[in-house]
Order: sequence, then structure tokens, then C-alpha cells
Amino acid sequence: MLKMHNIRKSFRTDTIETHALRDFSLEVKEGEFVSVTGPSGSGKTTFLNIAGLLEPSTDGQYLLDGEDVSNLNDRQRSHLRNEKIGFIFQGFNLIPDLNLFDNIDVPLRYRGFNAKERRKRIEKVLEQVGLSARARHLPAQLSGGQQQRIAIARALAGEPRFLLADEPTGNLDSLMARQVMELLEFVNEWGTTIVMVTHDPDLARRAQRNIQIVDGQVCDLRPVTEQSDAVSA
Amino acid sequence: MIIYYISLALRSLRSTPILSALMVAAIAVGVGAAMTVLTLNYMMSRNALQHKDNVLYAVQLDSWDPNKANDTANEIPWQLTYQDAQALLRSDIPTRQVAMHRFGFTVEREDSHLRPFVASARVTSRDFFALFDVPFLYGGTWDSAADQAHTQVVVLPKATNDRVFAGENSMGKSITLNGEPFTVVGVIDHWNPAPKVYDLTNSPFADAESLFVPFGLHRQFEIDTWGNDSGWDSGSKSEGYEGFLQSESVWIQYWVELRDGEQKQQYETFLTAYIQGEKAQGRFQRPLKFALSRPSEWLRLNKVLRNDNRVLGWVSLAFLLVCVINGVALLLAKFLRKAPEAGVRRALGASRSALFIQHLIESAAIGVIGGIAGIVVALVGIRTSRHLAMGWIDTVASMDWLMMLAAIGLALFASLLAGFYPAWRISHTNPAIYLKTQ
Ligand SMILES: Nc1ncnc2c1ncn2[C@@H]1O[C@H](COP(=O)(O)OP(=O)(O)OP(=O)(O)O)[C@@H](O)[C@H]1O
Ligand SMILES: [Mg+2]
Repeated sequence: MLKMHNIRKSFRTDTIETHALRDFSLEVKEGEFVSVTGPSGSGKTTFLNIAGLLEPSTDGQYLLDGEDVSNLNDRQRSHLRNEKIGFIFQGFNLIPDLNLFDNIDVPLRYRGFNAKERRKRIEKVLEQVGLSARARHLPAQLSGGQQQRIAIARALAGEPRFLLADEPTGNLDSLMARQVMELLEFVNEWGTTIVMVTHDPDLARRAQRNIQIVDGQVCDLRPVTEQSDAVSA
Repeated sequence: MIIYYISLALRSLRSTPILSALMVAAIAVGVGAAMTVLTLNYMMSRNALQHKDNVLYAVQLDSWDPNKANDTANEIPWQLTYQDAQALLRSDIPTRQVAMHRFGFTVEREDSHLRPFVASARVTSRDFFALFDVPFLYGGTWDSAADQAHTQVVVLPKATNDRVFAGENSMGKSITLNGEPFTVVGVIDHWNPAPKVYDLTNSPFADAESLFVPFGLHRQFEIDTWGNDSGWDSGSKSEGYEGFLQSESVWIQYWVELRDGEQKQQYETFLTAYIQGEKAQGRFQRPLKFALSRPSEWLRLNKVLRNDNRVLGWVSLAFLLVCVINGVALLLAKFLRKAPEAGVRRALGASRSALFIQHLIESAAIGVIGGIAGIVVALVGIRTSRHLAMGWIDTVASMDWLMMLAAIGLALFASLLAGFYPAWRISHTNPAIYLKTQ
């Protein structure tokens, strides 16, 4: 599904050059649920952005679904992003002046579906996240957990093969975090590959596999059960 | 997709009302000012005789001072002397020809409550109406005898007929001009060419005259001119009104209609012969020179659209440019405020060009609204300049559909120009930096 080889990403500001990722190699198989942990500033978000084609890497090879995406232009990358990838963010990132229906509509518009198809899909995902009754509400009228469920619905509406979540429970209390986690697990059971960055060791442990990023590199590939000390450190 | 973008644009206008209103105001003021000037220029540079441009000619003869050229654009007086006009009228070469000038009468009507009033008049030979395509409501022009002998007939424009005869068919009725009875032989329909190509020596944008009377009335009423009258030869004048008619004063406008090149050549031969004949009599001491100018050339020669009007046009466009530059700053502020949303759209699959188009359409929406507001500004501006000009530009100070469309087009162009850089900026910012936290 996803295969990165010797990816490097550096940010240049006037004075310093930061190497957010170096010699970064990783493979994620179809249908996996992978959790990503690591200290703050280690490059987790940078990895997700590159994996999700939001940013190009400075160097290295990235195969998505077997296709080398390193040299695609913006239009092609945007198209792939729209079709194959769903994003979930810590801050939900719903568009504040669009109601829930129109928020979920956004990726479907760029996909070019007709009105009937869009409505069908929106109603389906709204039902999946249990918020059908709220379709015409604005994001601000929902709780944080509900907002995140809408964000997940928006990510799922285009039926992506690959879901990228950056601390999806970071802004939620433990009860709502568990609900969101259960939703993600449910989605994964239906075949969507998930990569989730989290700081929560309990959630990380619930994934099939955990990888740790330290200082821009994949540090350790031990099974989840053996690394609980490292995560909580 | 375009419809989606338009709905997003309208939503965005509502969500940032102050910035949007400022932006609309900037476009409206810029476009309004530009359209005020451009409309006046456009209307002033129209040619009401365009459809006869290849058959009508204004006639000029150089009868001027042997020692000094006349100071018109082509160094020939704009107008003819009375004696030359009478001589030219005797030619039967032109299909039609008109000798004429502006004058005025006191108007009264026997047995009516009409208060006497002073009206401008055109003293003209009978071909005037046919030559300039003046439409008749009732009757027609007088017969040719009236241009030779003194016959008291008159043609009334619709407005005068409405005023004196309450709009009824006044054919054969009597109207009193300067105390003498005149018979109405025709009433013309609304007709008000702008500019007044047929006589540019009097304000070219004033209304057409209120009465039309034959060219044969001069001696009876001792008619002189209510227009421009200039002379150079004060010495050789004999006494009295007859002296004025025989003088070298130029005050008659002269037009001919010539069907084709052959007829024009004949007429030129005739004019050459006429001037040579006059030279033999001691007149026309300057080198032999005359001119036949088409209506379009005549407008250009007379500089109806003055250079300062042109300059004003450019100044108003420069002002619009300043408004556009303001618009760039406003739009940049407006768009960058929504950068997080743009970041989300990128993450959800919008390409850079999709975002660029979305924001350009938002600018265009502002442009269309600004253009409509600009038309209102321009209408106020035109009305104001009309008041300031006190009747001198009444016939041109209005906006037609074409100019309204042009206003929208100009606003659209200005707003796209203003939106180009902000839209490019927003579509090229790195989405990742807006997605980290909220
Ligand atoms: N746009 C950028 N410009 C410059 N430096 C950046 C940029 N984005 C990230 N970095 C740097 O790259 C490194 C990795 O950042 P990243 O956001 O990937 O860390 P992270 O692991 O997600 O941290 P956290 O757990 O706090 O979210 C950091 O040192 C950060 O300062
Ligand atoms: Mg991060």
C-alpha cells in the first residue's frame, strides 16, 4: 500500500536547515492499522504530510499503491489525494461557515460526482458516524467529539483506501477518544488502511502495529506489547 | 463546478461583509469615475450621420484675407459668405444642397393664451430635411420658390408644435413670428442629433433649433445670424443690410449631397471654375483652395472631441488603476484570512489551479457587484456634469446599454486584475502549515 525508501525532508529558513526526516524507510501493508508514536518534533506530522501528498519530499522514493509519486505534478497529486487518501486532524479542521452536509460535500465536489451520488454518499457516512439528524448544523454547534466524527465522515465519504490521522483524539476527553478510536477500528475492519499518529500509549497499543519515530527516523519495529515503557517516557 | 465556485464566492462575500463592501466600493468608485468620462467621450465622438458618411460633404471656400490665412484646422473658414452661398445654390450638380444658419424669432399665436417666447430658428434652404434624414410627422418641406422669393412658411419640430398647438396636426395653421404670420407646412418628429454635425459652429451638443424657415426671407426680415459671424474686409463694405449681405463676412453653413465619385468630380470642377471666375472679379485673392469634408472628417476637423477630454479619459483610467491597487491589498487580506480553509480544501483534494479559479471567481463576483454600483455612480456623475454644463451637453449626457455593458466589463476586468495576485498567493501557500492546529 505505502512504501517509503530513504525519504529525506528538510526545511530551510534563513539561517538554519532542519532535517525533519532522514533515511526514512517504511512499508505499510494493505488493510493494516499502524500507530505512530515518538517525541514532539520528531517528524511524525511531516511523515503524514508526505504520505498524504500534501508536501513533496526533498529526496527519496515513495510508492503509493505501487505507483511512484515522487515526480507527479500538483494536479496529479491532488487527484490521488482526493481519490485514495482521507485526512483526519487533531484540530478537526471543519470549514466553520459550511454546515456538516456541505463540509462532507467538499471532497466529493473535487471528485466530480453528480448531485445524486454526492447526496447518497453524504447520507451514508452521516449515518455511519451517527449524526444524520445534525446535517444542517454548523460545526460550532457540535461537541469536539461530534466534530471529529464529522471530520472522519468527510474523510470516508470518498471511500479512500488509506486514512491518515494526526493525533485524532488529542483534543478529546478519554470517553470521546474511545468512541473515535472505536469508529476507526470499525472502519479498518471494513478494509481501510489506517496510519494514526498518537501520544496516547493505550490507543497506540490497540493498533496492529506500532512504529516509533525518533529524530526523523523509524527507530524500532518491535511488536507493540514490548515497547510500552518507551512510549510512556 | 463553476456554479459551486459562484456559490462559494457569494458565501464568502457574506462572511466578510466589511472587506467585501470596501472592495465593492473601490471598484464602484473607480469604474463610476471612468465611465462618467468615457461615456461623455463616447457620446461626443458619435457621428449621427454615419450612414450617409460617403455622400454628404461640408463645403468650405477660401475667400479669406489675402494677407493672412484663416485660423481653422485646414486654414479655410468654416462658413461661407452670403453671396457665395447664393451662387452655389444655383448649381444643379449636387443631388441635394443646403445653405443655412442659426437665427431666432419671437413666437406668438393669435387668439390663444400662449405667452410669447423667443425661439431659436434655422434659416435654411428646403433640402435640409431630406439631406439630414429628418423625419416628418405631418407635411413636409416648403417648395423651392420659398428659398428664392419671400414666403412666410415654417416647419415646426415636435416640441414646438406641442407647445404652440398642443400637439395637434397644425398643418395650414398660422403662427406669428416677429409679428408676421407664418403658415405651418410641416411638423417633424423627435430629432436631435448629437453632436449636431450639421452646425458645429454653435455649441455642438446643444439641442436642435425650435423653428425652421426658408432661406428666401433675409431681406424682408433683415435676418443676420445668431451664430458665429466673422469677417476681415471692413473697408469695402457698402451701407446697410444690403452691405452686410454683399460683404466678405462668413456666416452661412453649406452642405451638399453627392451620389458618387463622378458627381463629386463634377462639383469640384464647378467650384474651381467658380473661384476662378470670382478671382477675375478681384475676390478670392488667396491661392485657390476649397474643401469638401465628409461628416466624420468634419467632426475631426472641428475637434468636437477635444484633447483635454481625451486626457481626462486617461486620468480616469489611471484613477481606476489606483482603485485596483487598493483592491489587491483588500483581497489579499480577505483571502489570507481564509487560508486555513484553503489548506483544508487542498488536503481534501483541491489542486492549486482549483483554488486559484475559486478565488478568481470570488474576485469576479465582487467585480460584477462593483460594476453595477459603478453604473449608479456614473449616472450620478453624468447628471452632475450635465448640470454643471448648463445645457451645453444635454444631448450626450446619458448612458446607453452599450456603455452599461462596458461598465460591467471594465469592473470585471479591474476585479480580475486585482484578484490575480491574491488568488495566486492563496493557491500557492503550503497547506501543511494551516493544518497543524486550529
Ligand atoms: N514548515 C516547516 N518549516 C520549518 N520547519 C518545520 C516545518 N514543519 C516542521 N518543521 C520542523 O520539522 C521538525 C518535525 O516537525 P513535525 O511537525 O513533523 O514534528 P511532530 O513529530 O509532528 O511533533 P508533534 O508531536 O509536536 O506534533 C520539527 O523540528 C519542526 O520544527
Ligand atoms: Mg505533529
